[in-house]
Amino acid sequence: MTESPEISVIVPVMDEEPNIPLLVEAVRLALEGGPEWELLFVDDGSGDGTVAAIIAQRIADPRIRLVQLARNYGQTTGMQAGFDHSRGSVVVTMDGDLQNDPADIPVLIAKLGEGYDLVAGYRLKRQDAWLRRKLPSWVANRMIRWITGVDIRDNGCSLKAYRRELVDRLSLYSDLHRFIPAVAAATAGARIAEVPVRHHARLHGQSKYGLSRIAKVLADLLTIKMIRSFRERPLMLFGSMAFVAALFGLLFAGASVVSMTTFRLHKAEALVLPTAACVWFALTWYLMLLGLIAETALREARLADPEPGPLAQRA
Amino acid sequence: MPTRSLDRLRSELEVTARPAVPLPGAGPAIAVVFLGSERPEPLASLIRDYVGPLTSAGHAVECIVAVEPWLRGWAADLGAAAEAGVPIRVLVGAYSMGETGLLRMALPYCHAPALLIMSAYHRVESDAIPALVDALRDADLVAARRWPRKDSWISRLQGRLFHGLVARLTGSRFHDLGCGVRVVRRSLLQELPLYGDYYRFLPVLAARDGFVVREKDCSQHPGDARTRVYRPGTYLRRALDLLGLFFLVRFTQRPLRFFGLVGSLLALGGAIVLAVMGFQRIGGQGIADRPLLLVGVLLLVLGVQAIALGLVGEIIVHLHATRQRHYRLADSAGAHRSE
Repeated sequence: MTESPEISVIVPVMDEEPNIPLLVEAVRLALEGGPEWELLFVDDGSGDGTVAAIIAQRIADPRIRLVQLARNYGQTTGMQAGFDHSRGSVVVTMDGDLQNDPADIPVLIAKLGEGYDLVAGYRLKRQDAWLRRKLPSWVANRMIRWITGVDIRDNGCSLKAYRRELVDRLSLYSDLHRFIPAVAAATAGARIAEVPVRHHARLHGQSKYGLSRIAKVLADLLTIKMIRSFRERPLMLFGSMAFVAALFGLLFAGASVVSMTTFRLHKAEALVLPTAACVWFALTWYLMLLGLIAETALREARLADPEPGPLAQRA
Repeated sequence: MPTRSLDRLRSELEVTARPAVPLPGAGPAIAVVFLGSERPEPLASLIRDYVGPLTSAGHAVECIVAVEPWLRGWAADLGAAAEAGVPIRVLVGAYSMGETGLLRMALPYCHAPALLIMSAYHRVESDAIPALVDALRDADLVAARRWPRKDSWISRLQGRLFHGLVARLTGSRFHDLGCGVRVVRRSLLQELPLYGDYYRFLPVLAARDGFVVREKDCSQHPGDARTRVYRPGTYLRRALDLLGLFFLVRFTQRPLRFFGLVGSLLALGGAIVLAVMGFQRIGGQGIADRPLLLVGVLLLVLGVQAIALGLVGEIIVHLHATRQRHYRLADSAGAHRSE
């Protein structure tokens, strides 16, 4: 198969052997009769017969493709590998555990046709445990929305459709797959829409996620906030922090002056308060220098590799 | 984790099977690389013991001797190489660079697709070498493990502690990272960025990057069996290596998680101290003459500094993310992007 299909469906998988034939059949049913498509599996270090199952499907249908990673890297890397090797002008991502319904893909693509760069699905009637999955997800989505300013109600839903122009501008690393809409909006100026999608309970295999991801989500949120707000002007970030540090320094300096002029001065007072003020001023200086280093790094990176500009809004 | 360019990844898609070690007669199959940086033994005996078994087994061998400047005279003894009938090249470093630097210097001069790398002294019995090389057929790197060990109990205890720590910090379990005898594909060395003193940890880094790494037992050479008690500086260097390795393996793509954790703990400690003192002040107690106030401020400031450093790290990672991909492909079926 050498022709580029119009639609690439990317499915990162790990130990999903029983689900592969069901998923292929479901995607085939959903997309048959429409534009040319490909189904690109990204095997993320499976230890079962997932790869063999995919190859068996590929032998029967060359539209099924496989990218096999050398080890388990995680879902973000799996998704990025799928982006790198997909060919369609429209790219759809979904989970390999059949919790997403491929029948929703045409709905997402239709919405994309209205001029959006990214259409994210949000799961109606989630078939998950309330305490272990739904509650943490609700809290995390609220926080992501609040901190990033991107109004997406279900960041955890993998079923999303993207334009190729956006996919070529995305570079996912760490655990950023949870924040793709925020990253897309921050780094490429993407127009984003949401559509409701179905959600099914897992049929086979084990969930790879648990409550432990909450701490990681919280840590990554700070990164996302930084990327969204300061990626083009890091000195602003560090300058703002330095300003706050300087205020504390002034507070302690003021307290020192008041102590010296108003009250009877002890040796310890003469030492503690001015020293504390100096520490805050040193932090101010340090943060400003860090900001300058970040600006230098930004400039050098842009010189070495001018990245494509943000997407233009369609009139 | 090492980073890889997108172009290289795409070109890799053309490769669907790992090439085997070339058969004898198809050019040099193995480059035997001696890294001379400490306690060298006569070059003639090294070549006789380690190159000889390979030529006897029918491998076409080339020999590279890379040495520190102060070992220039030692490397001049090439009679044994002439006797063995193998092409040999001696490379002398311009400055002292350690084994990792010597390996980087030697790599461009190796023509063979596989390298047998070792220090300039006997560590394993020579009869183990052909099997070590053969093991590369289904791996990218084969590290020799000196086993059974003939060292003193102190050395063995140190080794167990060290490798236990490495396993704990990196998640990779190896038993003898101190044994520098390794057979490795040249392509692996070209892909993995090696610097500092990380040749020692090459198996860990390679496994982390998705290469197939094996450990193979080799009899320890009697001359290598001794009590290893080093100077304090050596232990300090190893501890710093471990810290660096831990960070490289776990946090290279997410520095804020490391610095953020450290910074948050410090800042939290400072905030608690200052909050307690604040309540005491509200209760009418004087705090301006108490050094604890300074401790609280210092902890808070240190915490902010650590978090700020993590943010700089995140900025750098983010800026380079567009050019780099942090994964390796094992194999691909039909994964060719049409141009």
